[in-house]
Amino acid sequence: MNNPFPCGRIARRKFLFEAGLGFFGTAMGYLWSQEREGVRLPGNAPAKTVIFLFMCGGVSHIDTFDPKDNKLAGKMIEAVGFGDNMAKMVRPVIPCQRKFTPYGKSGIPVSDWFPHVGSVIDNIAVVRSMFCHETAHSPAVIEMATGHRDRFADHPTLGAWVSYALGTANQNLPTFVHMGRPSSTTQLNGGYLGATYSATPFRAGDTPIDNLVPPKGVSRAERDEQMKTLMELNREFRQRYTIDSEVSARLKSYQLAARMQMEAPGVVDLSGEPKHVLDLYGIGQGETDAFGRQLLLARRLTEKGVRFIQVCHAGGGNGAWDAHSDMASHEPLCRQVDKPIAGLISDLKQRGMLDNTLVVFASEFGRTPWSQNTKGRDHNPRGFTSWLAGGGVKPGIVHGATDDVGYHAVEKRQYISDLQATILHQMGIDHTKMTFAVNKRPIKLVEEGFGPIKEILI
Amino acid sequence: MRLSKLSILILLAAGAAAWAAGSREKLWSLKPVVRPEIPSAFSNEKNPIDAFVRKRQQEKGLKSVGPAEKATLLRRLYLDLTGLPPSVPEAKAFLQDNSPDAYEKVVDRLLASEQHGVRYARHWLDVLRYADVDGGMPSDVGLYHWRDWMISALNRDLPYDRFVRAQIAGDVSGEADEIFATGFLARGAQSMEDKEQDLAFNAVETVSLAFAGMTVGCARCHDHMFDPISQRDFYSMKALFDPLVLDKKTLATAGQIFAYARAKDQYEKQKAILEAPLNELTAPYKKRLLEERITMLPPDVQAIIRKTEKERSPEERKIADDYAPVLRIDTKKILEVLSPEERARHAELLKTVQALKEPPELPVFWAVREDSKKIEAKNHILLVGDPEKPGAEVTPGFPFSPAKVDFGAGRRQTFVNWLTDPENPLFARVAVNRLWQWHFGEGLVATANDFGYVGDKPSNPELLDWLASEFIARKYSMKEMHRLIVTSEAYKTASIGPADLMESNSKIDPRNLYLTRFHLERLEAEVIHDLIYSVSGELDPTVGGMSFRDGPEQKWTGGDKVIGDYDTRTNRRGIYMGRGYHGDADLLPAFLQTFDAEDGRRTCPRRNQTVTAPQALALMNSPMVVEHANQFAARLRKQSAGNLAGAVELGYLTALSRPPSPKERDAALSYIRQDPKRLDGFAWMLLNLDEFVYQQ
Repeated sequence: MNNPFPCGRIARRKFLFEAGLGFFGTAMGYLWSQEREGVRLPGNAPAKTVIFLFMCGGVSHIDTFDPKDNKLAGKMIEAVGFGDNMAKMVRPVIPCQRKFTPYGKSGIPVSDWFPHVGSVIDNIAVVRSMFCHETAHSPAVIEMATGHRDRFADHPTLGAWVSYALGTANQNLPTFVHMGRPSSTTQLNGGYLGATYSATPFRAGDTPIDNLVPPKGVSRAERDEQMKTLMELNREFRQRYTIDSEVSARLKSYQLAARMQMEAPGVVDLSGEPKHVLDLYGIGQGETDAFGRQLLLARRLTEKGVRFIQVCHAGGGNGAWDAHSDMASHEPLCRQVDKPIAGLISDLKQRGMLDNTLVVFASEFGRTPWSQNTKGRDHNPRGFTSWLAGGGVKPGIVHGATDDVGYHAVEKRQYISDLQATILHQMGIDHTKMTFAVNKRPIKLVEEGFGPIKEILI
Repeated sequence: MRLSKLSILILLAAGAAAWAAGSREKLWSLKPVVRPEIPSAFSNEKNPIDAFVRKRQQEKGLKSVGPAEKATLLRRLYLDLTGLPPSVPEAKAFLQDNSPDAYEKVVDRLLASEQHGVRYARHWLDVLRYADVDGGMPSDVGLYHWRDWMISALNRDLPYDRFVRAQIAGDVSGEADEIFATGFLARGAQSMEDKEQDLAFNAVETVSLAFAGMTVGCARCHDHMFDPISQRDFYSMKALFDPLVLDKKTLATAGQIFAYARAKDQYEKQKAILEAPLNELTAPYKKRLLEERITMLPPDVQAIIRKTEKERSPEERKIADDYAPVLRIDTKKILEVLSPEERARHAELLKTVQALKEPPELPVFWAVREDSKKIEAKNHILLVGDPEKPGAEVTPGFPFSPAKVDFGAGRRQTFVNWLTDPENPLFARVAVNRLWQWHFGEGLVATANDFGYVGDKPSNPELLDWLASEFIARKYSMKEMHRLIVTSEAYKTASIGPADLMESNSKIDPRNLYLTRFHLERLEAEVIHDLIYSVSGELDPTVGGMSFRDGPEQKWTGGDKVIGDYDTRTNRRGIYMGRGYHGDADLLPAFLQTFDAEDGRRTCPRRNQTVTAPQALALMNSPMVVEHANQFAARLRKQSAGNLAGAVELGYLTALSRPPSPKERDAALSYIRQDPKRLDGFAWMLLNLDEFVYQQ
């Protein structure tokens, strides 16, 4: 693997105060200071928040959103691989066991593994012509997250770029929230932008954030009194060092922590949600419960102005979507996410929030039309599907296509960075101008590809 | 053969001239170090450093805020030289010692303390990118011996040129301990075979940044855009390290090795007996599956696979190798085709095999050695750094070298001779600048890894050059430089002064480049950690050995698999807190991450100092902090024996190395309300004070 930008780190210590202290991010992002240079696109950005749903391991597009004719099953095609091995071979296409039904006014076909998403398909733009370069999980996840293929260069993940560019809309909550177990820590990493822009992991539970509440045995009243005395004991030091902005920043960091303690538990407390909403997300319904809670929490964070919410499903190791031996392993995973995702889209729509919330469904690659002599499918970076909904995306359309068997993207091919460029575009950012200098060499999130997928935008 | 001084001068002049063509100006850092005269107007300064500093201040119309208070200075010195706070008796003794050399005595004692090496090794490990785990890095097992070597080298004041030489060529130095220094090079390989040539790439890039302040990484793919490093220079230098391969060193006596061989032999024989029926069961299926696999391949490949190794031409052998992974039939696949009964029998047989305990491996350390075949091999420029795309041939060399260098003494030895030569203008300058940075928080050149065009210019070039020449004159003794620096008045300056003076100074010098005051510094993650453990009395200061795991924070998958052996003592100094990077596991402990430590993947010349709410939350609420606050309180209760005012006094002395002001004492006592239990809350406050996490 090559390292295109090994030129060292920038001097970014003490960066935070210089940029105007914010909470986990800067109050005023990079765009405010760069407005004149045209980083910010003219007009109002359609999307205020991105909810990025990442299925770890590689979703089979052929069995979900990109139906193929089974007449070609058994056809011998030129194949590359078995996993990471790039040897050429000839493999038969294996039949798809799924039934596809056209849904809604758009009539977009969706397989019987995603009936709920099918029911909201008229809100979705399905991009069937995605491709990436990497063929193994970890590098492909890094490529998808950072737009770059090298882990040594410490490239930041998409969410970190968005926090960096836009700053926070809510001083009391993080700008970039992550939920679920990721495939790679890179998906949370602020990289050379700094830890300030890294994701804050949230959990749907009593303590959504590490160290949010004092350990047992310290009462609220007691802590309040301690904080009051702490202020007094800090006074002499703070008066002495008024000239050092980091000292006043430290006071602010404690105030912000306190505000966060007030606000965050309320956000994660789902007890006030009416039953019909919980039902919509499949909460309290067995296998949809966990993902449903995360997506409902995502909606609540969206309401509070969090910019980028990333939810990983079935992460850890290669990711549970990695169906080499049997496609049937997709089935429970689809059941876990189908209803919650449809619930999220319906809920956002009912609340009038879908227009400025961009929901993205993605995984690091798709799966091959052939198998490794099993009932499963291998990794396929050459053609796969991602879809987008809301946030100024055209509803109910299909964009691009793979070949007859779903192996190669052939029509309107879109590199994974195009997905990132599209997300940036909808958030009002010009992907060609959002740069960060590492050793005076400007580096971008999007370095390759064809830019925003304009055809799917309103 | 050692390069003559003349030849070095010639090559530097030639190099500099070559770069000057097309560059804006001659790069300051490549001009020879000429020992500057000590400014005569300031010759009454005891320490020459102060003469240079005062001269600069006077030129700029600046005035120092004056010396720091004794207690402040003592805490500064302890945290700087050892990373640990003074004990209460040590602090009291110093405050009462009015002898003229009271301070110098403490300096000598701290420099002689073994904790000094621990503190400064952490600085060096940041620069030289130590990590316990880095993806597939094979040298992770036992890499801590490199850290141990470094601590020991610093503690015995190994001269800097030898410190560097050992890490670049310790395998051929003839010194037994220096093999451990080559952990620095071994750490670069990302896989056992090192097909990507990461070992050599990492060596070139890290050696250049760390010891010469040159960013050469850009030249991996193209001539450097700013600095005079061509792609050819880069790959010539890489050729110095191209012959290196990983070298496994077993750390055991001959007796232990023989005992292991016996045990292993018995184990293998036992295992073969137990495995025989298992193989008998699976063999036919394995054969069938393999046959199925082969028939999937294109006909021409099939033909090659069906030949024996001997029958294959060299090209065919390569093709067969390419397909080997495809044709590997693993047990998982075989199990899928077994009948349920066979599967049960397989599981039963497997249990007996697994019940057999393999003798524990002997401890190892991964060093490097030169591979004789690789020395013979030609070296090439690699297009975009890709080992599969060799470009023009290169011969060993290094940036700024003359056309022909005699590498008779060995490639790396010759290079190190040049690198560490007193005539090399970068070597001493870069080093003393680091030392200065570690004492003052900022170097005379703020970009410690970059002395090129993109890097900062020195704020006080005469001082930098005087220090560099002094370093050479003192035979590269780092401890002597530490002593020289910390005994200067500049180091002893207060971090705060009269408001009007501070204001007028900051108008002229807002970044405090000219050191009219001491930089206020947020302490590094490890120092904060060690402080917390020190004040609670829980710190185990033992030096050396394996890293420990910071509890459940190191989570997600594969923790055990990727981390390997770890020390079970979790109350050791922060330097021993395991850290690193792995795609599947979160290996940088939350505490370190929160306070801006890096995972060791890349060289870190200087830590960030962010101020964030997660830091506040960690100090307020993390179970670790609360637990240690309670232990700290218990200590105060015990030592003050019911005298709460005494407990408050002791708390301040322990945590901040100074007594409380009357106001602070009153506020604390009014919180405590005569209740010794409430010392818990008081101790928690001390750990959350701004002053606790800052060095003044």
